[in-house]
Amino acid sequence: MSAAFSIISPSRLEARLESDLVTVVDVREEREYEELGHIPGAVSVPADRFRDPSSVADGELPAPGEFATLLSEAGIDRTDDLVAYGDDGGPLAARFLLTAAVYGHEGSLFLVDGGLDAWLADADRSHATASPSPAPTDYEATLRDDAPLIDREGVEAAVEGDAVVVDTRTAAEYEQSRIPGAVHLEWTDLLADGRLRGEDALEDLLAERGITRDERIVLYCNTARRLSHTFVTLRHLGYEAVEFYEGSLTDWVRAEAPEWDPVELQAQVRHYAANGGFEAMVDDLGEDVLGRLKLIGLYHQKQRGYFMLRTRAPGGRLTAEQARTIGEVANEFARAPAEYGGPEQNPVFGDGYLDATTRQDIQMHWIEIADIAEIWDRYDAVGLSTMQACGNSVRNVVGCPAAGLDPDETVDIEPVVERVSQRFLGDRHYANLPRKFKVSVTGCCEDCARSGIQDLGLTPARKDGREGFVARVGGGLSDGPRVASDIDLFVEPEQVDDLVAALADLFIDHGSYLDTAVNRLRFLVAEFGPEKFREELESYADFAFEEPDETLTMDYRGDHVGVHEQADGRSYVGLNVPTGRMGGDEFAELSELANDLGDGEVRLTPNQNILVPHLANDDLAALLEEPLLERYSPDPGPFTRGIVTCTGREFCNYGIIETKNRAIRWARELDDWAEEAGIADDHEAIRVHMSGCSASCAQPQLGDFGLRGEVYRDDYDSGRAADLGLGGDLGNDEFIDWLVGKIPIDDVPAVVKATMCAYDADSEAGESFTEWTRHTSNADLREIITERPARDAPAIGTEVS
Amino acid sequence: MSGTDPSKATNVPKPGVPREGVKGVGEDPREQDRDAAEAPGKIWFRDLDEAVIEADRCIQCASCVAACPSDSIGIDEDEGRPTLVKMCTGCSRCWDFCPRSGLRYERHLELTREERGLEQPATYAARADDTAAEAGQDGGVVTALLAELIEAGELDGAVVAREREDEPLRGEAVLATSREDLLEAGGSIYNQTMGLGKIDELLAEADLETDDPDLALVGTPCMVQGATALDRYDHEPADPIALTVALMCTRSFEHDRLLARLESFDVDPEAVDGLDISDGTLRAVDADGDALLEADVDAFDAAGLRGCDECADFVGEAADISVGSVGSPDGSTTAVVRTEAGESAWNRAASALETTAIDSPDALEGLAEWNRRRAESILPRAFDREGSIGITYEHHREAYDGTDREPEPLNPARVHQYEEWC
Repeated sequence: MSAAFSIISPSRLEARLESDLVTVVDVREEREYEELGHIPGAVSVPADRFRDPSSVADGELPAPGEFATLLSEAGIDRTDDLVAYGDDGGPLAARFLLTAAVYGHEGSLFLVDGGLDAWLADADRSHATASPSPAPTDYEATLRDDAPLIDREGVEAAVEGDAVVVDTRTAAEYEQSRIPGAVHLEWTDLLADGRLRGEDALEDLLAERGITRDERIVLYCNTARRLSHTFVTLRHLGYEAVEFYEGSLTDWVRAEAPEWDPVELQAQVRHYAANGGFEAMVDDLGEDVLGRLKLIGLYHQKQRGYFMLRTRAPGGRLTAEQARTIGEVANEFARAPAEYGGPEQNPVFGDGYLDATTRQDIQMHWIEIADIAEIWDRYDAVGLSTMQACGNSVRNVVGCPAAGLDPDETVDIEPVVERVSQRFLGDRHYANLPRKFKVSVTGCCEDCARSGIQDLGLTPARKDGREGFVARVGGGLSDGPRVASDIDLFVEPEQVDDLVAALADLFIDHGSYLDTAVNRLRFLVAEFGPEKFREELESYADFAFEEPDETLTMDYRGDHVGVHEQADGRSYVGLNVPTGRMGGDEFAELSELANDLGDGEVRLTPNQNILVPHLANDDLAALLEEPLLERYSPDPGPFTRGIVTCTGREFCNYGIIETKNRAIRWARELDDWAEEAGIADDHEAIRVHMSGCSASCAQPQLGDFGLRGEVYRDDYDSGRAADLGLGGDLGNDEFIDWLVGKIPIDDVPAVVKATMCAYDADSEAGESFTEWTRHTSNADLREIITERPARDAPAIGTEVS
Repeated sequence: MSGTDPSKATNVPKPGVPREGVKGVGEDPREQDRDAAEAPGKIWFRDLDEAVIEADRCIQCASCVAACPSDSIGIDEDEGRPTLVKMCTGCSRCWDFCPRSGLRYERHLELTREERGLEQPATYAARADDTAAEAGQDGGVVTALLAELIEAGELDGAVVAREREDEPLRGEAVLATSREDLLEAGGSIYNQTMGLGKIDELLAEADLETDDPDLALVGTPCMVQGATALDRYDHEPADPIALTVALMCTRSFEHDRLLARLESFDVDPEAVDGLDISDGTLRAVDADGDALLEADVDAFDAAGLRGCDECADFVGEAADISVGSVGSPDGSTTAVVRTEAGESAWNRAASALETTAIDSPDALEGLAEWNRRRAESILPRAFDREGSIGITYEHHREAYDGTDREPEPLNPARVHQYEEWC
């Protein structure tokens, strides 16, 4: 690039100011510029305006147009010589100069040595408060073709040895994780007492690190701030071949670092099982390890020293042997210590229970590090895994639970699910994506695997007589709910794992590892737009993209409860497991029944239910007679059938309300009420989805009634509460709207009853609940919901629960 | 194509009340492009961030830090302000207990007075009768009071501010558990130390013998507002707080800006031993007590926390005991004892104090009145002691939008990026 960089001392700046040859730019916050004063004549261009991290798809650089506007407003021309300063020792002012250079600024670029502090201290200068009012210019900014930016591939090549890679972060950060082969040169090493060190000292220092004028030099830090200062300094000293990596390296580094390798991590944790357990592990590996353990399926509970263990069941499929092992492990190890209630830890479920989840995993609690090796040994023996069940990787692949059974199925998804699962398991690179990555595959026409809420959802489609899938991308719930976009892409079953890899590669390149709150794939899809996202994705795929001729999804299926005929004439039974929770011993018992009566297979559904397939008529009759099926019925009441909850406050660090026991109690009461009210037979299922917080683990946006934990407060009282929405309908790509906030939790059943009565009275013949909620205005629905009975007079000091 | 079309996303025009189901003033992708409308009144930490922190109205009282049930709000040490350190669950407690947003602090003061106040608060001119007088500002009353209570076993410790060793004039919160600790911490600090948000951490470090400690919390009126509000609803973070002592306050300073201001008067912050603000004059004194600077306190306006302008609670009405220099002769302190807990503590420590019951001094009344009128003139919303204690997001926006205190878009560059998710 042509712009020259120099570092200028305050006294030289003063001399230049007198001759009015430069434009001085103050990058501090606007308020500081205005109220505390600034260098005489300086214009304000605050750093928070030219660093733009709000974009997920791009790096930290602002859009060229925005940068041009900013400089135009500051009265700057492209040919002006610019002097920048701040009060942070240099990086932000350097960042400004670097940004200007990248966008083609033609004048010379100067950084004030020591910034504002040096200016003030040097010669007893003082702030000016009079601010210039510059006339706007017609500044134009375009990215220079030869801008010294280097991309991820470039960094990878540099690692291979054609450049000196320089880490400008602190020694601690460098020690923790770094690019292999990078040399350390913290940006402050170039300074002494806040001012640039003498040239000889600098040259010695650089030579010592192997940084010379004839080498290509690549700089990195975390957010391209600190490296800017080093960049300007090197250019000032006459180093020409300096480039910088604009993306965040933190997790790029992490993906390469051994401590983030799930296989290594599992080996490490196994070691502590027999060598001191939890405390020894935390002492040796640091508290940080608790976050990393998610990579191998362990979530630290809110009760210190205990973990939730998540076991994957790809496509929801388990052999009876696997299911028995899981049940036995839960029965044996998912037991609360006495101080947390022991055998009576939970008033409804006692102890030793497990939870079937909405993504076809099994979770259990109270697992200790001391027991984990034994558990994994038993798992290994039957082919189960907890690896990458959590964390920022390709999660358990959700599949249609009736795959291979359904008469209308067009594609056999089992091999697809298996290939995707195996391809990413134990792969350090893909185990460290920017965020979690959820995939589902459906083979039937009823979207059982809920494509609309996945990062990648596949449903059946046809192309030139070939059977395959159509892809939807960028769905998700939580605090930025988005229905996945159909990108009109046909894939053959054999291409699916390549497609997932292409998406993961795109995600790694474009997804931000730093903007953790908004870096799910859906935000990238929204930012690109579906068409452009498809184009971008194609560049990552090793097959040509096609459009489907025909998509085959006809309907949406909420659950698989009940007895259903299979394509081969046998039957499968969907058992209702209210809230997904059952005793480990019961799960083991069910696996025995599946073994004895079925073909030795058990399946988990995305409704937290369980399905037993392959039952001949006699076996079906025998199974239906089993006492276990009284509690886990194929024919439950509508509320019991529709209840879905997350873990809730019992174990979760985030849960605001207790969910499981509450939901079971409610479902029972509401079923009794429905019976009395004479509406029970009108509904197969009334789906109440209750999440303990906003994280949507119970998928409340899909329920007839969606609930999300909250708290309420009035002048005298506070307590647990829930936000409520109505009429989620994935079949029509409709999420609930959150209609009313903060309903005191104990009022919720009454609200549900009132709403069902209103539906009963107002709906037209044959109109479903979701149709009714859609044709009724939100204002009317709100009125129905809020006409609830008044609570008792509040009292100060009421215990919250 | 189905799904969401980003071109349909509309930005909320500013100023104005947000359209239904969409919140916030920034460009947060979660708000711009969503397929489910948000609940009326839903609050995320980022709403607080925009309305209070980005709007430069945060008073660093740490009420939000203490209020968060998932410990998702921490303190950014560089900025001295609250920041998200873990996932926000959208429970709204941070908003509900923030005196600059969801907590109508004047209503809280009124309710506290009704529920806990003595029929007639007692006012004293007081000074310590021993070495505490040397250490503390204006008579060492707080030091002596707390030391007596700790030594009598009434308190297990006190959360107080102490000047940091590494930075001049910058206070930090410490848990004092002995007279020696208190003597070390004596004297006033002019920046917020966010002690309310650090109680758990301080207790964990202190390793007290009891699991159920009784602590005094000493701090600014706003911090006491937050602490007592949490206590009114029996929220856990307030459990250890047995006594609140408010230091009368017209404003706190932002530490860096305060240093810059002193330097602009050619005062070396390292040489400053103490600051004293009275009668509209700021005095900086060195270790020998010699004045390094006497300047109109208005000259330090820019170094102050702008959010303090909205506070009418100069005296710290929610506290069990308030102390300040106004209206007492040099070397002694004006103390207002307002609750039974305050009265009992005061009596218990009487032997260590020279106290004289006085009428509330005119100077104190006058300053309180001036402070209240000033706050009311600046506060964009109505000042209403009878209003509802909660202020909804929508009401906040109605009152603040279009003023120079309106919510500012969140700048993700400034926000601490966290990795902890469920």
